[in-house]
Formats: sequence, C-alpha cells, structure tokens
Amino acid sequence: MPTAYPLPTNLSPATVANTASLIRIVALCLISGAAIASRLFAVINFESIIHEFDPWFNYRATRVLATKGFYEFWNWFDPTAWYPLGRVVGGTVYPGLMATSGVIYNLLHAINLPVDIRNICVLLAPGFSALTAWATYMFTKEMKDASAGLLAAAFIGIVPGYISRSVAGSYDNEAIAIFLLMFTFYCWIKALKQGSALFGTIAAVFYFYMVAAWGGYVFITNMIPLHALVLILMGRFSSRLYVAYSSWYAIGTLASMQVPFVGFQPVKTSEHMAALAVFGLLQIVAFAQLVRSRVSSRQFQNLLFAAVVTIGILGTFAFGALTYKGWIAPWTGRFYSLWDTGYAKKYIPIIASVSEHQPTAWPSFFMDLQFLIFLFPAGVFLCFRELRDEHLFVIIYAVMASYFAGVMVRLMLTLTPVVCVASAVALSTLLDTFVDPTEPDIAEEGKSESGTSTTSTAAPGANGSTAAATKKSKKAAAAAAETTSTLSHLLAATKKEGLANPKGIYGLDTRLMVIFNTTCLLAFFVFHCTWVTSSAYSSPSVVLASSNPDGSQHIIDDFREAYYWLRQNTPEDAVVMSWWDYGYQIAGMADRPTLVDNNTWNNTHIATVGKAMSSSEEVAYPILRKHDVQYVLVIFGGLIGYSGDDINKFLWMVRIAQGVWPDEIQEPNYFTSRGEYKVDENASPAMRNSLMYKMTYYRFAELFGGGQAMDRVRQQQMPKVGPTLDYLDEAFTSENWIVRIYEVKKEDPLGRDLKSANAFAQGKKRKRTKPVSRRRALVS
Amino acid sequence: MPIRWHALPLLFLSAIAPSLANPQSFENTAIVRTVELGGAIVHVTTTYAVKATQPGSKVYTIALGLEEKQKTSWYEVKVKGQQVVLPVSEQILDADRNYHLMDVTLPKALGVNATLNLVLETIQTHATTPWPKQASQKEDQALKYQTDLFVLSPYRTSVQRTKLKSLTPRIISFTTPENVQDFTLDIPATKSGATVTYGPYNNIPPSANEKFISKHQQPITVHYHHEQPVLEVLKLTRAAEISHWGANLNIQDNIVLHNAGPTLKGHFSRLEHQSQSYFKRAAPHALAALTLHLPAGIRNTYYYDLIGNVSTSRLRVAPSVAKTSRANRYSILELRPRYPMMGGWNYSFTLGWDAPLEDSASWDKSTGKYIVEVPIMTPIPGAVVDTAEVKVILPEGATDVEFVPPFPAVANWISTHTTYLDSVGRPELTFQYKDLTVFHAQNIFISYRVPLAAHLTKPFVVAAAFFSLFALAIVGRRINLTINKEKVL
Repeated sequence: MPTAYPLPTNLSPATVANTASLIRIVALCLISGAAIASRLFAVINFESIIHEFDPWFNYRATRVLATKGFYEFWNWFDPTAWYPLGRVVGGTVYPGLMATSGVIYNLLHAINLPVDIRNICVLLAPGFSALTAWATYMFTKEMKDASAGLLAAAFIGIVPGYISRSVAGSYDNEAIAIFLLMFTFYCWIKALKQGSALFGTIAAVFYFYMVAAWGGYVFITNMIPLHALVLILMGRFSSRLYVAYSSWYAIGTLASMQVPFVGFQPVKTSEHMAALAVFGLLQIVAFAQLVRSRVSSRQFQNLLFAAVVTIGILGTFAFGALTYKGWIAPWTGRFYSLWDTGYAKKYIPIIASVSEHQPTAWPSFFMDLQFLIFLFPAGVFLCFRELRDEHLFVIIYAVMASYFAGVMVRLMLTLTPVVCVASAVALSTLLDTFVDPTEPDIAEEGKSESGTSTTSTAAPGANGSTAAATKKSKKAAAAAAETTSTLSHLLAATKKEGLANPKGIYGLDTRLMVIFNTTCLLAFFVFHCTWVTSSAYSSPSVVLASSNPDGSQHIIDDFREAYYWLRQNTPEDAVVMSWWDYGYQIAGMADRPTLVDNNTWNNTHIATVGKAMSSSEEVAYPILRKHDVQYVLVIFGGLIGYSGDDINKFLWMVRIAQGVWPDEIQEPNYFTSRGEYKVDENASPAMRNSLMYKMTYYRFAELFGGGQAMDRVRQQQMPKVGPTLDYLDEAFTSENWIVRIYEVKKEDPLGRDLKSANAFAQGKKRKRTKPVSRRRALVS
Repeated sequence: MPIRWHALPLLFLSAIAPSLANPQSFENTAIVRTVELGGAIVHVTTTYAVKATQPGSKVYTIALGLEEKQKTSWYEVKVKGQQVVLPVSEQILDADRNYHLMDVTLPKALGVNATLNLVLETIQTHATTPWPKQASQKEDQALKYQTDLFVLSPYRTSVQRTKLKSLTPRIISFTTPENVQDFTLDIPATKSGATVTYGPYNNIPPSANEKFISKHQQPITVHYHHEQPVLEVLKLTRAAEISHWGANLNIQDNIVLHNAGPTLKGHFSRLEHQSQSYFKRAAPHALAALTLHLPAGIRNTYYYDLIGNVSTSRLRVAPSVAKTSRANRYSILELRPRYPMMGGWNYSFTLGWDAPLEDSASWDKSTGKYIVEVPIMTPIPGAVVDTAEVKVILPEGATDVEFVPPFPAVANWISTHTTYLDSVGRPELTFQYKDLTVFHAQNIFISYRVPLAAHLTKPFVVAAAFFSLFALAIVGRRINLTINKEKVL
C-alpha cells in the first residue's frame, strides 16, 4: 500500500484517540478565545459601553431585574415610556436575555464576585459567541465529522456576519439567540437520528429558551416542521421522526406559551400553524402506518383514500372558519414584507424606515461571509451526495435562509450559521482528500480497497512530512478516524468497478499545492474578518470617533453630553420628545420619560410625533402642550458631517405622519418644485416652516460669523438669516451641535399667543426693522 | 451647623468655663479682622493683640457671633508667628445668648502688662449668596457677603479694624455703618482698591454681652464681583480600599458637584459659549474645567459618570515620592465635565485611581501592625463639601483595628464589606463629615494587624474552588449514565 508520505506505525489506537480528544478540546478552547477576543475591539477602542439603540432598553430592563428582582421585573409597568400611555414591559418583552444576565449576575454575586451589571451585559454577547462556536461544532459533527465541526466552529467564531450582532456591548436578543438556534437544531438532529425523546425534550427546552429570547424563534418553529414534512414527503417517515417531532412539538409549544409576550400565539397565529399541521400530519401518518401493519393492503388503500379526502376537506374548512372567526390571526405585516419587499414601504412605513429591514446588497454577502459564500454551495452539494436525514435539514435551512437573507439585511444573521456549517463540510472534505496519504495502487488493484480504510485510521497520528501539512492535518486529523472522507469512498467505489486507470492523487506536490492554497484562503479569511470587525462593526454609535491632526483618536461624545445634561439638570418628570430612534437612549441614559421609543408598537403615537415635527410651530405647539412635552430633542449633524441626523430621517417622519393625517401632511410639499430635497434657500415653505427644520438650523448661520453657513451633511449652503422660534426656546446644544434640546414655552400669562408676545417683547427692534421689510416686500 | 467635636472631651471643663472668662484679666490693645472674600469659602483671620491685666492669666476667651459660629466650619488659634496650635475649649452653646464663647489656653500664663498676639483663623462656608440670584451667560457674577460690624470680645478693646478683601477691585457696594460716633469720628468705612476697611473704632467696652450687641452690633454687607465659579460638592463618597496582595491603595470618589453661583437666566446657548471661549472671555460663573491635585505615582486613573467614561480630561502623573521625603509632588488632573457647568447646574461623576500602597502604608516592627494613612478628601480648589462619607476598606482578616481621625467625624462605624475573591469579608470603616474645605484635607491614620493565615486564605480559597471544578470535570467525564447499553435504533 503506497502512501504519499510516511506514517508512524507504532501508535496504539488508544493513544491516537486520546491525542485527538485533547487536540479537539484545545482547539475548541482556542476557537472560543478567538471568538471572544475578536469581539472586544469595541471595548478596547472605546470603552465598556452599551451600543446603539435597542441594547439600551435591554440594559435598562436588566438593571431593573438585577436590582429589584425577577417578580418586580415581571410586573414592571414603565410609565415613562410612550408617555402618557406607558408600557407593560414584563408582558411586551422577550425576557430571555435579561433573565440570562440576571442569573449570571446573581450567580457571580453569590460567589462574591461583585461584577457590575453593565459589564455582564457588555460581555454577554462575546461569551455566548464562544458557546455558539461549540454548538456549531456539535451540529457539524453530526453532519460530517469532528474535523468539519472544528472548522465550522472556527468559522462561526470569527465570521463578520455573526460578529455584526454580537460584538461586546451589542446587548441584544440576537446575542444569545444564535447559540440557542444552533443548539436547538443540534438537539433536533440528535433526537431525529436516535429517535430519542430525551433529545427531543432538550430541543424543546432550548426552543423554549429561544422563544423567551428572540422573536426569530419563528424560524425554528417553521424550520423543524418543514424538515419533518420533507422527510415524510420523501417517504422517510420513521418512528424516530415521530418520537423526535412529537416530543419537541408538544413540550416546546406548551413551554413557549408560558412566555407572556407569546401567550396563545402558538395556537392562534398563522406563523405557528405549520408546526401544528405537521404535528397533526405526523399523527395521521403514524396512525396510517399502524393500520397498515394490521390490515391488508387493499383495504388499506380504500381507507387511505377516504381518510385523505375527509381530513383534507375538514382541515381546510376548519382552518378557514377559524381564520374567518378571528381565532387564528392572519399573517402580520412583517411577515408579508418577507415575501413582497415593496409591501412595507406601501403599508407600514415604520418597518421600512429601519435600515436593517432593507433588502441586502450583494457586496454585503461578501463582506459578511467572504470566501465562505463560495464554499457554501459546494457544501450544500456535498450534503446532496450523502443525503441522510440531517443533510436534508442543512439543505432546507440553506435554501430558506438564503432567501430570507436576500430580503432583509438583518436576516443575514440566520444565514451565517448554515453557511459556516456547509462551508466547513466542503472545506474539510477537500482537506480530507488531500491530506489523506493514500495513493492509488496500480499494481495491486485488488488490495487497495481494504488499504484505504486502514491507512485513514492511521492518518490522525501522522506527523505530516511538511509544515503546511502538519497544520492542516491537526485539524482534519481529529476525526478522520471515524469516517473516511467522502472522496475516498468515491475513489474506492470507482476502483471497485475495476476501471483500467484508477483515479486518485499522486505524490506530494499536488497535495501541497492544494493545502497551501487552502491555508492562504483561510489566512485571508482571518485577516478579512478582523478588518471588517474592527472597522465596520465595532463602533458603539453612541460615541463617535474621529482622529486628531496628529493621528490620535478624538472622541465625539455629544450624545452622552446632552443625555447627561438632561439627566442632571432637568426635573425628573420632564417629558422629552424626540424621533423614536432615540427613545431607548433617552430612557437609558437621560432617565426621562419619552413619547415614543424603539418599541414601535403604536403607529399613531409615532405619527403624532412625526406630525409635530413636520408641521409649523403654531400647529405643533398644541400637540406638544397636550402631551406635556417639556423638551424636544433633535439630532443635527450638519456642523461636523454626521449623516445619521434627523433632517435625513425627516422624510420618514413626514411619510408616517401622512399615513395618519393625509389631509394635513403631504410628502410632496417638502420637496422643491423641481422635486429636490433641499434645506437651503430653495427649500419649500413647508420644509422651512416645519418645527424640525427650525430646531435644526436655529442660530446655525450665526455660528459662521457672517461667513457662508454650510450644512456639511447635505453639502448645501444655508441662508444667511436662520429660522426664528416663538414657541420653543433653545435649552442646550452639545459641543459639536449634534444634539440640540429645546424647551417648550409655557402659555403666555397674559393669554396672548406666544408669537405676538414675542413680537411685543422685542417691540423696539421690530419697529426699526419694519421699514426695511416693507421695502423688501415692495421689491418682490 | 455648630462644630461639636471640640466640645466632646471638654464638656466638664466648659461647665466651669464662664467663671474663667473674667473680663478683668485681659485687655485687647488691638483687634484686626481680615476677611478674604471668596466664593463658597471665606477665609477670616482675626488678630488679637492681648495685654494681661492680672497676673497668671492663662485662659483667653474668644467670642463669635452666633451666625458667624454657624458658618464656621474650621478654626485654629495660634500665637502669631508660631506653628503650635493652641488648645481651645468651647463653652456650651446657650440658646438664649446670641454669641458663642471659646476658651483658648495660652502657652504660658501671662504676667501683668505682658502682651501676646493671638491669631484666630476661621473658614466660613455657605457665607456668600449670589446677587442678583440669576445671571445670563453674558453677565457677570456678583456675590454678597454679610457679617457683623464688631468683633465681639468679653474684654475691653482699645482699637478695632475689619478689612474685607475681595479678589478683584470690583466692589459694587458696601454698608456704611451708622451710630458709631461713640467709637470713631472719622468716616466709619472706607474703600481702597479691593479692600473695604471698617474702623478703626476706638475704646470699645466688653462687647460679648446682650447689652452691647443689641445697642451697637449691626450687620454689614459687601457686594462684590467674583470671577471664579462658586462650587459646592453636595455629596462626596470616598472609598479607599487597601489591598496587600496587590500592594495597592485604590481610592474612588463619587462626587456630586453643584454650581452654587447665580442660576442661569434664560437658557444655555452653545453659540454664546463658543464665541466666549473663542474670544477668551468665559463667563465667570461657568465652570469648564477643574484642576485637581492627585497623589504622585498613581496608576489606572479613571473618570466616569453614570453613563460611562468621560474622555475629556488630561492627567500628568508625577513619579512616586518616598514617604520620608518632604517634597510635595502631585499628579495634575485637568478634569472637564461633560458639559460646561452653568450656574445652578449639577454634575455627578466618579473619579478613582490606584496608588502604590508603600507610599501611604508602613509596618511597625515593634507592634507587628500596619499603619496606613488615608486622605479624607482630595481638595477641589474653592469648593466646599457639604456632606462627605469616607469608607476605608481594610484587607480581609484584618484585626485589632485602631484609627485616629485628624478631627472627629460626625459619625463613624465599622461594618463588613465583601468583594472579589473574599470568603469572610473585610472590615470597613466609615466616617461621616460635614462642610469640609481645603483645610480639612488631612489624613486618617489606621493601624491593624493581618495574620499570615489571613493572607493565605485568598489563594487557598481560589485554589480549592478550581480544584473542585477540575475534580468534578474529571469525575463527570468518567461516569456513564446510560441505562441501556445497547445502541438505540
């Protein structure tokens, strides 16, 4: 039996197994370390801080949980959100994330490690990413072998598609959800493979955890039934499937209904019906199997026909009737927008206004997955080659997730795990083939078959003759002992047929070339991931960074400056109005009541804020007073060129307000006659009179001291004379003018409207300027 | 709030004190009071030129007006030109009297006609009020200070003067006292530059009595410009944690800062503020930055507030100084609040650092005890600390704890504090203070014993925890819980 490089022969199988096991553990530990470390850019470059918007709410809720206990959190009614409506937080939140942090917090405090709750929240996502790597390893191990598992774990550990939502500080539901997703799938596969009710139950428990943690649990709710359905349709029904599915569905559904936010949805809404239907179908199929084993085949066919017809008719009628009666809720808008990308823009502008709900751009696939996106189809193809039950699962998952990832940017997250798994399968197959030292034996064709299996058993212990080979063989070696690679099977198979020219790989050069190439790909992947993570995904967005002329980092901290000012220098019950994006941040950092926040449950309320922002002061003032608004906060990036500011979001406010008050707010009014979106002298009157415009540019032109004022975001020159305010008063502006806070004036004590009161107060000035304005009027 | 601590050990003395204040025993040849007007803190120096009229006079009595006494947060009596602080005992505060007496024990008894110059230094807090109460961003800051015209004394006084010095010569107004023809025929008050002088007033009878006070005593007010912000620390919480394993003294201050100057009229305009700082004409009542002197040789300095790190400060660390050397070296921290603090605004933050323990601790060989000095506060220039709570956390297992505060606390107690890797917790000493100023920035001395066993508890507990963890893993990996050994389908 010729080999491409010498193999040690004096190793006992026990030594090989133990070494492989040790290497696996060490590799998994290193992968976990890498996964955690690569998520710490945000903490090192900035600080241990909660990022973005939603995490601020989660953090605030977690603090309530940690300080006041679980029951207090469960019954928490937050009067400061959605003022004056309030929000029943305990019943409108997925509590899994907060509960996890709370448990960790209490556990650490119980063993005298008084870690700050903020640090737990910040580091939760990196910590769970290590667990995700492990879960992916277990999952992929079921697909192929441990070496593929290690590759998959390494991929998911550092792939930007997952890092984007799990950097330190990104304290959101997705942080723990991907681990739960992968682990539930792993348990499902395990249950299905073994027909084990235990694993089915574990899957159900983790499914419950997932339900408690993330709205994306619906993905599991539909993936598993779909897998089961496909198995049935392919004639692969077995008692294993029956046991696994029934135990998962029954326990999982009952458990998931314990989450208050989910409640009776699993039996009432359309998204969950597939799981129920498959459950029913499984019972019928199982019953049919039972009947078939008892009755003759002729009778059975008659029975089957009658049963299919009746059940079909009855089921359809029942479903229709239930939907008609309103027992089963129809699909929600978010669901429709998954199928029709234009739907949201037409009917639910709030959903469409969120950037992460936009369709994915092609480059972002490469940015988030790099070379995995090319390996992914190969991996799926390899799954088709074997097509065991679990491979079907990966195939279905791949198809579904690819579609969803194309529809919505944020669903890239669900695609990432399957890409990692499939790519790992492909890559490890490739490596297995080329690390395998077996060379086709021309002389002794007959023996080669048995030779394949013996050599590959010995392969793990092989000290590869070259450095490049050693590195790869360690990874690949781990489990080559268990299964021979697919390709060598293939080789063996072709040889069996006794072809004249046996196929295979000869010599070291081919092997080295391929392995070198693969190593380079992997190395580039690591560089790419590190670069993307550090440059694109590690900014807290609460703190902005720029660089000083000498290259040192300069922190732009306007958001916190203004929020902290609100927190320290305004009355505790002062209601702050802002666009909903900043609601959670104001509640978290400024600790003040807000009108609307990122939990966009009440469209009308948001539209009210939109209307106030987009109408003139006279119209907005009664709205503000009716809602007890004391301060209005706007974000303005025009001075330093921060593009995510309110003027850029303004059209969404107009659109959302228009959805509720189509008579009063019309989007076209905010464009110039030529259809341009302008803020300079050509801006339309509706634009120029809107509260948002006035608050944004109030006294902005004066900053340039007579020079030409320039809005650096929109690259437009501002008029010399800026807008004036009668009903509001500037209260605070942050250092770089990013956050501007205005106080709403109280009604005039003499009963005049504030405009004439102001005019009266400035009486003298007005008189002097009056002739000028009259002359101007004449000229025009 | 009257200062009580001097009264505590000397209660019994004060019972007999009135008999000692014999108006015949001394005579003041001159009293000069100098008031250095400031923002939150007013520094008053009163010099008594004393002449004994009876032999063997050893106890001299100083009188303070009631209001003055309430404002005073710190005082000290010395013989002029000497460093030794003279012992002072306060007489019991009598609610019916509107003056307060303190007995100073002179270094030696004076013979007849012997003279001595006594200097009383007091620090008054919350003694000024902003006037007008509101000021816009462009306006100046003006304060009012009110005090009594005469320095009270139970003895006859030949000549008396009061000088009020402002930091700038911009004094807006001052009270001209009336009905002082008994004591002077000149103009009762004069102003020259930054100083307002009341007096000299001649031949004042013993004044620490109801009769004189109701007849002659009158309030005088100075209204002056002040060009620094008036700062008040509403609450200071200091935690000093001593770690022997880390050779580290960690100090962490939680500070609630308040600008007690005139409140901002109208609203804050960033445009205004930016143009002011551009033309270097910052509003006097706005605080843009603070300069603090932190100890030398500190590491890991942190400055954050409730919502995270504040990145707008600079620190220049001076290298550590040997304990024995007298050199005064400081690390300079230029601390900027997140936003400029206008009048009436608040800002709370946390400031902390690690200092090498050897700079402030030593081991006494003779007793086998450690002695650590912990500063009560880091002085914030010109600010008064309304309430302070200083916690000193000793190493785990410290016993025989003794402490000597530089001045008695309002309250103090010992409790247990549990933190990282502790098994039984550490002793924690808490001291509460009120109205602290720069003059109170002194050290608390604490001595304690740490047995070797207590030192070793920590590594032992950690090792045991890890050992049990690994042992569990070893056992867990070898237990087979499978009931059915056959392979399932």
